[in-house]
Formats: sequence, C-alpha cells, structure tokens
Amino acid sequence: MVLITCLSNVAAQVGIGRIMGGSKFHYPVGQPELPPEEELRWRVSLMEKGLTALETPVQEPKIF
Amino acid sequence: MVKVLHYLNQFFAGIGGEEKAGQELLFIPGPVGAGAVIENELKGHGVEYATIACGDNYFHEEEEKAIRAMGAALERFQPDVFLAGPAFNAGRYGLACAKVCSWVRDNWRIPAITGMHEDNPGTQEVGRHVFVIQTGASAAAMRESLQRYTLLVERLLAGNETAVENFRAEHCLSIPRRFTVRSDAPDYVRAVNLLLTKLNGQPYESEIPRVEAKRHPIPNLTGSLTDATVALVTEGGLVPKGNPDRLESSRGSRYFKYSLNGREDLRRGEFEAMHTGYDTSTVDQDPDRIVPLDAMRVLEKARRFKKLHDYYFVTTGTGAMPSKMEEIGAGIAEELASSGIGAVILTAT
Repeated sequence: MVLITCLSNVAAQVGIGRIMGGSKFHYPVGQPELPPEEELRWRVSLMEKGLTALETPVQEPKIF
Repeated sequence: MVKVLHYLNQFFAGIGGEEKAGQELLFIPGPVGAGAVIENELKGHGVEYATIACGDNYFHEEEEKAIRAMGAALERFQPDVFLAGPAFNAGRYGLACAKVCSWVRDNWRIPAITGMHEDNPGTQEVGRHVFVIQTGASAAAMRESLQRYTLLVERLLAGNETAVENFRAEHCLSIPRRFTVRSDAPDYVRAVNLLLTKLNGQPYESEIPRVEAKRHPIPNLTGSLTDATVALVTEGGLVPKGNPDRLESSRGSRYFKYSLNGREDLRRGEFEAMHTGYDTSTVDQDPDRIVPLDAMRVLEKARRFKKLHDYYFVTTGTGAMPSKMEEIGAGIAEELASSGIGAVILTAT
C-alpha cells in the first residue's frame, strides 16, 4: 500500500510503510488551478510515482 | 501492620460451583484460596487478612444488598488495601470485581486492586484509579497473577509512587475511558499549567490518555505490478451523489465500496464527499481529486499494472475512535485480500 496524504509526518509516526506527499490537505490528488488536461497529466505523473513506490521494497516508514 | 480485605466469588472461595451462585455475601475472618497465597507472601509486613465472598448471580441480581453488606464488612474490618479476583476471563466475576473495586475506591479512598484478562467485560465497568492487573484468560495463570498482586501491594506499602506507576505501566490494563471528576482548577488553568510544566522540561502527564497506534508489518509487493490488480481506497468520504448508504460525515463507523466498472473518470454531480474534516468543495467539483480514477485508467491502458479493481472503498476518517478505524481498516483489508488485490493506493485528507 502507498498512502497519499499531506500529513506525512503523522503517517510516518504511526508506521505507514510507503508515504507520498499529496497536493493539498483537502484535495491530495488535485491541482484545481491547472486547466483540466494539465491537471490530468499532473495526476498521472503523481500516480506513476505512487506505483513506483509500490514496487519499492521497504522495511520502515519511507516518504517518497 | 497492614489490613487487607479480599473479595472472591463463591467458586474461588471454595463455597461451591454454579449451584452456589446465589450465595449471599459472607464475611470470613482470614484468607481463603488465592488470599492464602498473598497473605503468605506478605507475612513479613505483619498482615491482617479477611475475605468477603459472594455468589456470581447474587451479586448481579441483588447488587444493592451485596454492596450494603460489603459496606458493613469494610466498616467492621477497616482495611488499608482492597483486593478482588483475579477473575481471568470469567464475565460475571469480572464485572463484580470491577464494580466492588470501583465502589471501594470511590467510597473508602483506599487502593483497590483487581485482575482480569483484557477481554473480560469487567474492563468496561472499571472506575477511575482502580488497578486492573492484566492476567491470562484462565486460572492456569493464577500463580503469576498472584505474584503481581503481591508485588503491587508491596510497592503501595513502600509508598514509592514511581514504583507504583512503573507497575501500572507494565502490568495493568490501560483503560482509556472518560470519567467525570471534580477538580481544583478550571480546565484553562490546568491546560496552561500543563504547558508551562512541559516548556520547563518537567515531567508531565496529559489528562487525556494517548492511544498508541499498533505497529503492523509493512507488506511488500509480491511479483510484478504488471500482474497485479490495484485497488483505490480513501478516507475522504467520497460517495455517490445523495449518499445512498448514509455514510457518516464524521465519527464514521462503517465503510462502503462503490463500483468503478465502466467509468473513465468521476464526474461532478455524480459523486460527492461526506466529510466534516475538510473543505469538500474542490473535491465535489472533480471527485478524481480524491479518488484518482481518470489517472489510473490512463496508467491501466498503458499496462503499467494489470487491472484496476472494479470497486473503490471509502470511509470517513475524522473524529473517530482509533479502535473503530482499526476495525474498518481490517474489514477493508480482508475484502481486498479475498478479491486477490495485489496493491492499494490510499488517499487521505
């Protein structure tokens, strides 16, 4: 599992393995200031990073 | 000289089994059963020991009478320390131990000690300041449990508060419940005092017990993502418009799954977020900002992974008890595991 959140430190404290910083607290995988196509492109790259995190073996909390 | 009064049920007092469960409360001068072991251990301190015993059913059916009789026994014996149990995982006995100890602590202001297994329903009835020694589930753990009773009594007699608190941390069940108590200072004074103590580097203890998160092993991907079904999970409260299952917007107690089958993205007006922990307006405008379906479809088509799971899972992660969230997490994890999901992306606000 990879957790996408803006509270990375809290996630690390409770022992989540894979942590990724989201965009904003109230829309972790959004960029509303971008035009829709660019926002989608940004989100695809964020999720691509998430998938890479999933492929990375970890033993203790790691912020990607 | 220390005076110890020990509460036992009819069984552990050797009066009888289920057929004696209606036994009224008895005062017995001297130790009985478990009490004899503790008395022997405490001999060096000059101990005077007495026992009160009562049937498991009698206590619950005639609680007022039982408590009255117990009050009379306390009046007569004037104990310095009160013990009850250990009750292990015996429910009626555990409840009685919790109630008598709470009553004694509240009305006599002497240390009250009981012992039980963490699953005993008696843990729900334990009042403030009662020591609840953690024991095994059955009387097989008797010897070890009694050693702990003795050790705690000795530390109390020695008046060493640090040693008592260490014992509490090591051997007592932590029962994070809220109690109404009268205090000398209003909350804002206590809060500022606590802050000053902390800033001065002095030892301090919060009035709200901290619930520590349980550590779980971190799972790693088995095999390749190109063979894995990936699922989306969120605590962001995203539900179909109109919230058909009535997911709570705070203090969530349930989770739901909703189909993504045949959808390429989540459209405004078809989904909405129920969550009092964040401003949901930006997510409501485009729900992909909390459940990133559109981006995952792009990566699915590019064969970055095998398949996106047909459902996303959702709960509301705000204002809830950690224990409830743990239950919800376990439920989601179990469903995902039984659907053969290889990896999960969880979005949180």
